[in-house]
Amino acid sequence: MTITWLGGLLRRRTGRLLATAVGISLAVALIAALGTFLTTSKATMTARAVRSVAVDWQVQVQPGANPTAVRDAVTRTSGVTATESVSTTQTTGLSATAGGTTQTTGPGLVLGLTPTYRHTFPGEIRQLSGSPTGVLLAQQTAANLHVRPGDRVSIGRAGAAPAVVTVAGVVDLPQADSLFQKVGAPPQSQPSAPPDNVILLPQATFNTVMGNRSSAATPAPTTQIHVARGAPLSNDPAAAYESVTGAAHNLEAHLAGQAVVGNNLGAALQGARSDAIYAQMLFLFLGLPGAILAALLTAALASAGADRRRAEQALLRTRGLAPRKVARLAVVEALLVGTTGGILGLGIGAAAGRLAFGPSPAGSSLSTSLVWAAIAFIAGLAIATLTVLVPALRDLRGRTVADARHAVGRSRTPLWMKGGVDFILIAGALLVFWASSANNYSLVLAPEGVATISVSYWAFLGPALLWLGAAMLLWRIANLALHHGRRPLARFIRPLTGRLAPSGAASMSRQRRPLARATVLLALAISFAASTATFNATYQQQAEADAQLSNGADVTVTEPPGLRVPPAAAAGMQTVAGVRHVEPIQHRFAYVGADLQDLYGVRPASITSATALQNAYFAGGTAKTLMARLKAQPDAILVSDETVKDFQLAPGDLLNLRLQDSRTKKLQTVPFHYAGIVKEFPTAPKDSFFVANADYITKATGSNAVGAFLVDTGGTNQNAVAANLQQQLGAAATITNVTQARSQVGSSLTSVNLAGLTRLELVFAVLLAASAGGIVLAVGLAERRRSLAILSVLGARRRQLRGLALSEGLLITIGGLIGGGLIAWGLSQMLVKVLTGVFDPPPSVIAIPWGYLTVTVLAVVGALGTAAMVSARASTRPAVEELRDL
Amino acid sequence: MTAQLNPDNALMSPDGDLVVCTDASRTFGSGPSAVVAVQGTTAKVSPGARIAIAGPSGSGKSTLLHLMAGLEVPTRGQVTWPSFSTDAADRAQDIGVVFQSPSLVPALDVAENTGLPLILAGVGEQECRDRVAEALELVGVSDLAAKLPEELSGGQAQRVAVARVLALRPRLVLADEPTGQLDHATGQHLIDVLMATTTQIGAALVVTTHDRTVLERLDTHWWMHEGQLRTATTQGASA
Repeated sequence: MTITWLGGLLRRRTGRLLATAVGISLAVALIAALGTFLTTSKATMTARAVRSVAVDWQVQVQPGANPTAVRDAVTRTSGVTATESVSTTQTTGLSATAGGTTQTTGPGLVLGLTPTYRHTFPGEIRQLSGSPTGVLLAQQTAANLHVRPGDRVSIGRAGAAPAVVTVAGVVDLPQADSLFQKVGAPPQSQPSAPPDNVILLPQATFNTVMGNRSSAATPAPTTQIHVARGAPLSNDPAAAYESVTGAAHNLEAHLAGQAVVGNNLGAALQGARSDAIYAQMLFLFLGLPGAILAALLTAALASAGADRRRAEQALLRTRGLAPRKVARLAVVEALLVGTTGGILGLGIGAAAGRLAFGPSPAGSSLSTSLVWAAIAFIAGLAIATLTVLVPALRDLRGRTVADARHAVGRSRTPLWMKGGVDFILIAGALLVFWASSANNYSLVLAPEGVATISVSYWAFLGPALLWLGAAMLLWRIANLALHHGRRPLARFIRPLTGRLAPSGAASMSRQRRPLARATVLLALAISFAASTATFNATYQQQAEADAQLSNGADVTVTEPPGLRVPPAAAAGMQTVAGVRHVEPIQHRFAYVGADLQDLYGVRPASITSATALQNAYFAGGTAKTLMARLKAQPDAILVSDETVKDFQLAPGDLLNLRLQDSRTKKLQTVPFHYAGIVKEFPTAPKDSFFVANADYITKATGSNAVGAFLVDTGGTNQNAVAANLQQQLGAAATITNVTQARSQVGSSLTSVNLAGLTRLELVFAVLLAASAGGIVLAVGLAERRRSLAILSVLGARRRQLRGLALSEGLLITIGGLIGGGLIAWGLSQMLVKVLTGVFDPPPSVIAIPWGYLTVTVLAVVGALGTAAMVSARASTRPAVEELRDL
Repeated sequence: MTAQLNPDNALMSPDGDLVVCTDASRTFGSGPSAVVAVQGTTAKVSPGARIAIAGPSGSGKSTLLHLMAGLEVPTRGQVTWPSFSTDAADRAQDIGVVFQSPSLVPALDVAENTGLPLILAGVGEQECRDRVAEALELVGVSDLAAKLPEELSGGQAQRVAVARVLALRPRLVLADEPTGQLDHATGQHLIDVLMATTTQIGAALVVTTHDRTVLERLDTHWWMHEGQLRTATTQGASA
């Protein structure tokens, strides 16, 4: 019996079974592919976090302990591959005489490095000019002292005469924050700013110059053991963080108070583990709705054949088949579509994953792939059970044979509609959204030094309830419109159906349940596609903004310290092929009180020709208004939030800065007026800085020297333009481009390449939207072939039959597009707000991917149109043939 | 041997024939499994004719009826409608078909189903309403006007199907075992209605039936056997 039934199903219901299996396969494929994304993104985050660290551990030898013994102990520790000793002491100040004037700095740090240090830790020191060996001066110190390689610098020593050394090179210390960290500081303490003045000496020179304590006033040098680890780490940042932190604690326990471990690797993984949770969030936010949608699509497809199934069940029961046996047939059908959909979905998922993340995605192994395949396959079987088996069993238990013959029925208002569940859900969504705005949408809390991460999963409720509530509201509206709007509906479809319009409208009105369901499904699919695409576009926009912010522009030419390049040099760069605009930016140092900060001099009228300034970078005005203020009022200045608080500034306040006069080489007071807050600015550091009018700075200091040139290439050919500029300008200038910055930006989620996920999501979203419209309409119309055949017998023309099919398609398309557009708009706003933590910097405007949306709409319209036309064509078969086949 | 209806035996009318089957055959499938439902049939239906097609199950009665309705296309020979339009949709306004099983549109109520052919024929709204009411009254289902087909019994649905044909007032009514699902009394009433109405509007009536009492009420009898039209008799005469 079962085999016969199965054979009959396969022969006679091929289309519906296949459509249901395709729906299941989409859900399975999406889950499997997103699983690959999750695994890959976590592995990428771990790898990037590890790569971003120059020195894994800085083991601070405690006073009284033997540095050699500590180093031996560290070297013997499991997982440690290399160690280097670094000596540090303080200087009372550095001074140098250049160009007839003497510059003196405040206190600074002197480091003693072994000859092999730079080979062991290549990422710690970046050579800017001069020789890589010998005495090296940090870039800012060299700028303060106005020295170049070959100049002599005097190192102040407490209780002893200054020691004079010759500078061999100028270097940048990219990891200064961690290099000069206060090892052993409590986890919640504020990070200390790196010192302004740093000189690096070969260990032997250090021992000679700074090693001998001539008096009690001379501070004793301290020793750090810098450690490189090679122990394999888990792909999961949280697991990697736990293992590295555990190992560091183990070493501290082993050293029994002789040293404290500064865990740079742990700190980097600390950031990555919260990003991993955000990746998980993205999986849930972007992946789960897709899987639910695919399940709903499957349910709609399965329910399109429900009337026939009920009739068949009723027939089997009247022929004496026991309900248990009828149930067994339903199990067989569910297993058939579940297994077929599962296998098909795993195939599609594997292909999509390969397409999106490459043939061997980072972090994926056979075991993780198998786990995700199993999860996806089980999800497919669950969907088949819920959409095919459960309704069949419910019908079997709760319906009489006579009930089962009913196909249309008098629609009763569902309980949820009577209870206003849709309104309650939308109100709930807004409430949750409002509540989560109270903590600035902080979904992930990963306290420093604490192994556990708290995730505010309830914030998911906002978008989830909105999606659900809006869908139900759309159902209510569609239902009401179809129920009570028969006359306008008839007028609407008259151009397509002619005289049949009133009958068509009446039929649609009575068939409002499947029509409303198809409309809602399409709206959900479109909203999923549009909100996902909008989120992705906004994410890409912000990732690009982050990269631009870090690099400054498409290409940035940074002039070496001490070299005076005038703004006119931009004209030469302008001739390089691919360059659209060159914008000079001044870079100075300015004292506000005793605090030294970077000062950027910009041309307010033209800066945005080379780089994008987002409103999120500023407070107290938009990017446009603040630049206009700098232009209109040359002594206006933008300062950091921290400076405003530290110096109690109010808009319009006078702010006296001390700047070096290029003519006298002395610091002189220059008055500015506080005009607004700048949080971020192209090429500027993360900490405090100023932005002011370049002309005013030139006038006040007597120098128009440029610190960097921002080069706009129109967003293309950055590598080529950078190479051409390097060729033109020689090795002295440092030229970076935005493509390098993209791969280097922080440890936030922007470090994860979402391009794969984006491609995956967008393709699935279009497929779902097209399927939701096309397949549902086609299956629905196929179930109404009998009605169309009867109409044909009664004298309906092909044009009219085609019109009826097209009317349904048109109605679903219009309802779905409008409903989906509105839901997508609300959902995008909410998603971008709730997932604020994902964006760096936070977006001031949402990016709308018009191109993708157009493709989605075209795909949906195309799918619905094709479905309607194919159905209409099928209805023009000889009517008796059609009636006989059903 | 192929039995042919002698055209001379049919009722003649100055208006000309409504349907003419010339050596018409209809075969389903192909090769060894092919089923010949109707074979080499030549017959015609004249205006006002009252014809019963009888024969055992599977003899090809329904297929012949469908050929005459233009719902089936002959695989050999031809079927023509000299008095009707050559356009199938237009022709449907002149030929009313009652199927063996109820053929109502599930999403339309009884009144809407009955009015469907009138709407397609372009009959005005008011006239449409009147004719629907009249037809439903004739078959005795006026009280079911607002019901959906799924709320009707088989017999009620069949009466609605007949009302739908009568409301159209066609020139030819083809009914495929219209009383098959009805009790004897209701069946008789339906035949009465069909006979009276077709007479009133001057339409020809062709009915396939197993029911001897139905057979006896019609003037001409066509006997089908194994797809062939064997004999045709008119009351008081035989061919």
